[in-house]
Amino acid sequence: MNKTSKIALTALVAFPLVFLTSCGGDEPVDEINEDIIEEVIEEVKNESYYQIPSPDEMFGFIKESGLKYNKSALNPIQNVSSYTDPKQQALNFGIYSADLAYTAAFEEYQESIKYFGSIQKLADQIGLSSAFDKMLIERVQNNLNNADSLVSITNTSYFSVVDYLEQNEQGGKLGLIASAGWLETVYIVSNTAKYGKDKAAIERLADQKLTLDNLLAYLEKYAESDADVKEVHGWFKELEATFAGLEEKSTGSGITLKKKEGAKKMVLGGGETIGISEAQFNAIKDKISEIRNNIVKVQA
Amino acid sequence: MKGFTKIYLVAISILILPVVAKAQYCNYFHTSYCTPSEDEMYKPNGQSKSALFSKGQTSELSVIVYKGQDYRFSLCMDENLGSQITFKVYETKKVKVEKVVESKVMEDIYDEDGNPTGEQKEVVTKETKVVEESRKELLYDNSADNYATELEFTVETTRRLTLEISIPDAGGSGKAKGVSQGKGKLMKSSEMGCVGILIEHMTTPKQGFYGTGF
Repeated sequence: MNKTSKIALTALVAFPLVFLTSCGGDEPVDEINEDIIEEVIEEVKNESYYQIPSPDEMFGFIKESGLKYNKSALNPIQNVSSYTDPKQQALNFGIYSADLAYTAAFEEYQESIKYFGSIQKLADQIGLSSAFDKMLIERVQNNLNNADSLVSITNTSYFSVVDYLEQNEQGGKLGLIASAGWLETVYIVSNTAKYGKDKAAIERLADQKLTLDNLLAYLEKYAESDADVKEVHGWFKELEATFAGLEEKSTGSGITLKKKEGAKKMVLGGGETIGISEAQFNAIKDKISEIRNNIVKVQA
Repeated sequence: MKGFTKIYLVAISILILPVVAKAQYCNYFHTSYCTPSEDEMYKPNGQSKSALFSKGQTSELSVIVYKGQDYRFSLCMDENLGSQITFKVYETKKVKVEKVVESKVMEDIYDEDGNPTGEQKEVVTKETKVVEESRKELLYDNSADNYATELEFTVETTRRLTLEISIPDAGGSGKAKGVSQGKGKLMKSSEMGCVGILIEHMTTPKQGFYGTGF
């Protein structure tokens, strides 16, 4: 596959739990004045968009760092039929989407197809079936043994949903899906990595303090108008309080983005790094597990 | 509804249509028009984004870049927006700052015997509170780099960056021409265009000899 095709497939990809917010709420027009068709100067509304790195980026990294595949951390596909409430369905759509990205990153092809099926079911229930067209399903089935393609396609399916929700101004629902997708990502990492052994994965988990800031900023935009988002925002504020204890240590120099002598590329360095103790790691892991298990639980 | 108003609604709909269509078209703009790196090791990053801009507009995109990875940002835009789009990169971080909060209350005035006089006085109290503020530090400005549309760098410490995109204004007033609609947010489609930011990433290549040789 050439580079341009990869972009076309994958950029879509990647759970950009990207969350755009460009719904610029114009009020409905009932009566329109005759003098409106004229050239005038108007203020332009500026926008802020908050992006969340995709689960595939995280899973690609932890696979490279040597973390092993941990099937027990995933939400079993048998649970899918138990989710009947729309909020629960949207949240578990995010959970299963991250699980799919995880199985694809670790080349667990048979698991990937099962999780893709679960996502399809939930997509139908929450009105997102149009994002899963026949062609996409066929592509998944035809690429079961091709790691790169499968990762790209699973990402594409998620991005189709993101795109659909953005176009239809369903930012609240997208917020639920994105939050749960990110949460499942950190749940898998925190329940697989061992403090003291998997240094790179633990550091990456600590860095999620910054990602959580972006996620909260996105959710805040919808919390006032959507009760479900407001509730989820409350859960993540509790998680933020747990992350707040992580210490930011100075590297000894201010942050810079500049070219170092002899280097080909610029280097973003200096500033602070985020430290995490074993006790803090355990506290964060517990809080993540508490929220995640509340989402995936099946009523008896 | 009066027929007269209906005609205006139809007219306005026709004016809006290109804008709406363009907004949706913008969704995949970066995948189609931003030039990807020729380095095969780069992978598209899910934080890439396209959006509809109007002349004079400034918008921000907040992204996370991780330690141990190389990133490449490339910009692309519709021709009608011009070629000198300003692209700035800031680090954004939350800092705790102490703030003195002043509050005023009206309190009753008492005489020497402790009885209320019926008059009141304003009492000002000051309290120091620790609040979180978001601070930005400029790291890169493409106007000092010949309006470059590409930026490539290695990340040594994970950061939350804000990418600020500003479209030059046709009139240079920081405002844009538009077709008013009451509160006025409808813009002429010729004054608008798509801007895309393609973000690519890869694991920072290790340099030098590695392993245990003999």
